[in-house]
Amino acid sequence: MILDLHNHSVLSDDGRARAEGYCRWIRARELALDGFVLTEHRQFDRTSDYRALEDETGLLILKGSEVETDYGHCLLFGVNPDLEAAFDFARVDLPLELVVREAERCGAVAVPCHPGRPRVGLCAHYRERGPVPGVAIVETLSGGSREGEQGDALQLAEAFGYAGVGGSDAHIVSHIGRCATEFEQRIANEDELVSALRAHSFRAVSWI
Amino acid sequence: MDLTQARETWVGYEFDTAEFTVTRERVLEYCAGCQEIDPRFTDPSHPDFQAPPTFVAQYVGTRTLPEGFPRFGVRGFDAGKAVHCYAPVRPGDRITARSRIHDLYEKTGRSGAMFFIVHRMEFRNQRAELVAVVDWRMVQQGAEA
Repeated sequence: MILDLHNHSVLSDDGRARAEGYCRWIRARELALDGFVLTEHRQFDRTSDYRALEDETGLLILKGSEVETDYGHCLLFGVNPDLEAAFDFARVDLPLELVVREAERCGAVAVPCHPGRPRVGLCAHYRERGPVPGVAIVETLSGGSREGEQGDALQLAEAFGYAGVGGSDAHIVSHIGRCATEFEQRIANEDELVSALRAHSFRAVSWI
Repeated sequence: MDLTQARETWVGYEFDTAEFTVTRERVLEYCAGCQEIDPRFTDPSHPDFQAPPTFVAQYVGTRTLPEGFPRFGVRGFDAGKAVHCYAPVRPGDRITARSRIHDLYEKTGRSGAMFFIVHRMEFRNQRAELVAVVDWRMVQQGAEA
């Protein structure tokens, strides 16, 4: 099962796509995706209900978040009320160690994203301050990466023994499906996504 | 001033009102500038002739920011406008635009920390109908002087 784990809708301040648009694009372009995750910036979308759209399109639509930490941006999967209460998603200076630890405690998974990106990726911060305990997975393939950034991310994952996922970091419909994550098992909801991530039963894939 | 304090002080603050009269010439000039081809917007004889959806985004008020508004950095740039349309704008309409600070927030990116100021202009016609809302995002960044 292939899921694009990193996308933004119009609920993010810089997102210009709606879930419906992503679905239409995936079907029109016959992309090899079974679904995607909407990871809105600095928030968790508790209100949108995509079940009818899932039924209509046959695509799985899950929700996560992208928060901002002292080590760069970090995806959160399996967000629940306990995790929302653990820290303020809107802050831009969350300690990554706290985010990772609280995600683990609350039954979620934290995945630092686009680690090769300057200022908001793990690589630059690791060079200055060393590794963060608890990190186990990073986004090794990012659709938003520029030249060299993907290589840095892969080197970091190899050096620290991190598993790698892929996500497009799409903000417009035509950018979905550039990178994704292939899972060994079927996933039907956020809990199963968390289980699959914790089992490390996946690999990052890219079409760019 | 930190962001929390600035939000409490400024978000929701209305600071400007401006009025505009929509003319056929202005609509046609705008369409020409955009290379618009839909006759609904380019042909005054069209039965549903009206301004194109982004037309109101060209209007600016008398102030960009309120008097006394704090600076959050030494550099700034325009982060774009989002236009939400609710009713047609037609030649002859008298449009009143009210400006307020809709949101203040920060984020981080490749270029470092950025403060976003969302200037919202709400446009109503002579019948007080809401015709459009334009959210103009401005970014400030860099250490304060």
